[in-house]
Amino acid sequence: MTSSTLSTQRPPFYRDTRTIAIMLQVLFLLVVLLIGWFLYNNMVTRLAAGNTAAGGALSWGFLGQTAGFGISEGPTFRPEESYGRAYLVGVINTLRVGIVGVILATVLGLLAGIARVSNNWLLSKLAMVYVEIFRSTPLLVQLLFWYVGVIAALPPIQEAAPLGDLGYLTNRGMYLTWIFPSETGRALTWWLLGGVIVGVMVAWLRRRQLERAGVPGSGVMAGFAAFVLVLVIGFLVALGASQMPTTTTYELRRGDRGALFEDINGNGAFDLNVDRPLAYVPITLYGADGQVVASGMTNGDGAFRFIDLPAEATRLEWTTPAPLVVSEPQRQGFNFSGGISVTPEFAALLLALVVYTGAFIAEIVRAGINAVNKGQWEASRALGLSTGATLRMVVLPQALRVIIPPLTSQYLNLVKNSSLAIAVGYPDLFNVSRTIVNQTGAEVQGILLVMATYLTFSLITSLFMNWYNKRVALVER
Amino acid sequence: MATDIRSTSWVNTNHPAPAQKPPASEVGVLGWLRTNLFSGIGNSFLTIVTLIALYFIVTNLVQWLLGAYWEPIWVNRKLFAVGQYPLEQLWQPALVLLMVSLLFGLSAGRWGSIMRNLGVGLGALLLALALIPIGLQAQVVMAASLALLLIGYLIGARIAISGRWLAVAWVLSLPATFVILLGGINLPRLGVTWNFAPLVESNLWGGLMLTMLLAVVGIALSFPIGVLLALGRRSNLPVVKLFCVGYIELIRGVPLITLLFMGMTMLPLFLPSNWGNPSQLVRAMTAITLFSAAYLAENVRGGLQAIPKGQYEAADALGLGGFDKLRFIILPQALTKVIPAIVGQFIGLFKDTSLASLVGLLELVAVGKAVIQQPAWLGVTGGVAKEVYVFVAFVFFIFSFGMSFASRKLESKLGFGKR
Repeated sequence: MTSSTLSTQRPPFYRDTRTIAIMLQVLFLLVVLLIGWFLYNNMVTRLAAGNTAAGGALSWGFLGQTAGFGISEGPTFRPEESYGRAYLVGVINTLRVGIVGVILATVLGLLAGIARVSNNWLLSKLAMVYVEIFRSTPLLVQLLFWYVGVIAALPPIQEAAPLGDLGYLTNRGMYLTWIFPSETGRALTWWLLGGVIVGVMVAWLRRRQLERAGVPGSGVMAGFAAFVLVLVIGFLVALGASQMPTTTTYELRRGDRGALFEDINGNGAFDLNVDRPLAYVPITLYGADGQVVASGMTNGDGAFRFIDLPAEATRLEWTTPAPLVVSEPQRQGFNFSGGISVTPEFAALLLALVVYTGAFIAEIVRAGINAVNKGQWEASRALGLSTGATLRMVVLPQALRVIIPPLTSQYLNLVKNSSLAIAVGYPDLFNVSRTIVNQTGAEVQGILLVMATYLTFSLITSLFMNWYNKRVALVER
Repeated sequence: MATDIRSTSWVNTNHPAPAQKPPASEVGVLGWLRTNLFSGIGNSFLTIVTLIALYFIVTNLVQWLLGAYWEPIWVNRKLFAVGQYPLEQLWQPALVLLMVSLLFGLSAGRWGSIMRNLGVGLGALLLALALIPIGLQAQVVMAASLALLLIGYLIGARIAISGRWLAVAWVLSLPATFVILLGGINLPRLGVTWNFAPLVESNLWGGLMLTMLLAVVGIALSFPIGVLLALGRRSNLPVVKLFCVGYIELIRGVPLITLLFMGMTMLPLFLPSNWGNPSQLVRAMTAITLFSAAYLAENVRGGLQAIPKGQYEAADALGLGGFDKLRFIILPQALTKVIPAIVGQFIGLFKDTSLASLVGLLELVAVGKAVIQQPAWLGVTGGVAKEVYVFVAFVFFIFSFGMSFASRKLESKLGFGKR
């Protein structure tokens, strides 16, 4: 037998690795399908036998049905709206706490991580204690501690003392002074948007210009300056052109409440979706004999309401507001009006997520900074850079390459962990989905919907962070 | 005329000069303070600000700790330990503790490294519990466990016991734990019912015992699945790879709590109707295992990727088949490398079991919630929630921090993380 016959001799098909590979895969697929079919079949049988509202058929029709429950937070949601919209409100609530949480956790983690590598012994140890305590205890326990132990122990609304001009901390939530665009500042939102676009464009152009000139630096400062400039121009324009609509009128009911609006159809009464309410306009209420009984401001919906007036108001006057107004929370009976309010549920969830994730991010930042060669510190010190400049311009940009991949998974963890909202009753997507499932019995669909949503979040975050990672990655030959 | 250079007055011939002591500001306490706290204006400022912050934190903390009302925790210590497990049958959990202590001791003696570090931690914990007057019987059990731990260590270190048999003992200890806690075997559908004590259904298990059980079962059962998934993900059979990648990414993309709710409400749906409904404990454990498997697979994959290609080629050259190659060459190396990662995952899972309280299991956090609502504490101003949650967090902290400390010690010993 020559060597040529040896190489051309094919093994029998059952010893051929290529055939074996295909056979194995077919077998694997069969087993998976068989198990899947078994599970699915059981499920269909059980659903048909059981008296769940889903009634065997896995239909998605329930999403269009009337929800019949209200949602206390986020975009306005009325019980007569559909389950589908309720779920959407839940998704928005998840994003609300997720986005704010990611930003704050990054700031906290970055600060704690830098403190951890600081050459100040005390600061470094303090940061270490923070990291170890919050990393080694379950998020759920921390969340319950903040919610039941801390926030619920704050004073009730009637007894809450103001924190200077900032607002109030009560066991029913935080009420904070806030700046709002008023009726005359409506256009500011568009100016803000325009400012962002102009800022990004200027930053990009400046960066290109610097690159061409071969000068080190980024366009961030130029972009930011352009952004501020656009905002200032917008504010001045709004201030110059500020005037109230000529058909401004008001409605006053029961002597203490009502609305200020632009009477578009001219019938003198406020018609929802026709007339335009006027937000954050200073108003003064006068009684029957001309004395001032109350003064204040309309709220974001153009409405106003006063409590415990000395006399019934019969007449109202308004003044033209500045484009931006500062609204302070004011105690009115058992509640506050004005400013913005943060519910205890949102505050507890946000606090827990930020403090917990911040501890993990601090460790990531520390590892990233430690991964930068010591020589880099010494070289920049030799060049005469200060510690801050070294950190900002030499170390952190290099550390980012090590930091970003694990940071991505921390962001995803934060969003996924926000599903613990159900423990404190914050209406995030998971909590809302449970309410929907409990009412409709659409168990399987509910779980599928939630999983699909979280997977979408994961995918989007991963894609974005991968793109960013590619940008900061070392350019290799 | 050449003069001897040494004779000129400007050369110091009186050498060497006696060594001066370093200035007081550079060494000792003062020197330490200077380099670590007051090395510059910025640093001094930071120190002062930190000190002020620390002062407020510490005074408030001490004030709270002294004024806090710890009665509910002390009164309910049995509830926190084992939940509603019947009082007269507590010897069963005690037996499990004794068994685990002995195994731990043997393993620490036999294998050393991380098992020894963990064993030291367990020993310290048992010693502390034996000394605190939690109850005479409980203290005796703790002391006996400590003794078994030490005896096991001595046996393991002195006598060459078979590592394989020890591993088998660990594997068997898991079903044994269930049998002991249950008081027998109760599988009526298979026609097997046997008991050595009144059966204690799993809905009576609780507290730290249940938390531990959930975490240990989660890691132990997910181990084989995780290894298979990791191998599948690195397989060159596209169908297998696709399935494994899909499973891992799907599970890692969703929060544990969705899987727990799914396990609670949908697991019974997936079983044939004549099988009845599995207990809540089984449902939660299934969900935790499926969850943990995906993360374990990723850890194991990290270990597999760290194996140099030469190892595969060498195994091929030796003529080892696919299975033998994995069994004798690849997995032993890969799994050793990922021990710290798996310990880290166990810590994470240990904390994550707290979510089981949201689906009705009476583990540590759920016990805490129940204790807060006991009518006895209604009169306490401000409630007892802070105290209870701080205590629960403290228990989690002891175990999590202890385990991560043991693991870090090992890492620094093995030189992981050093560059």
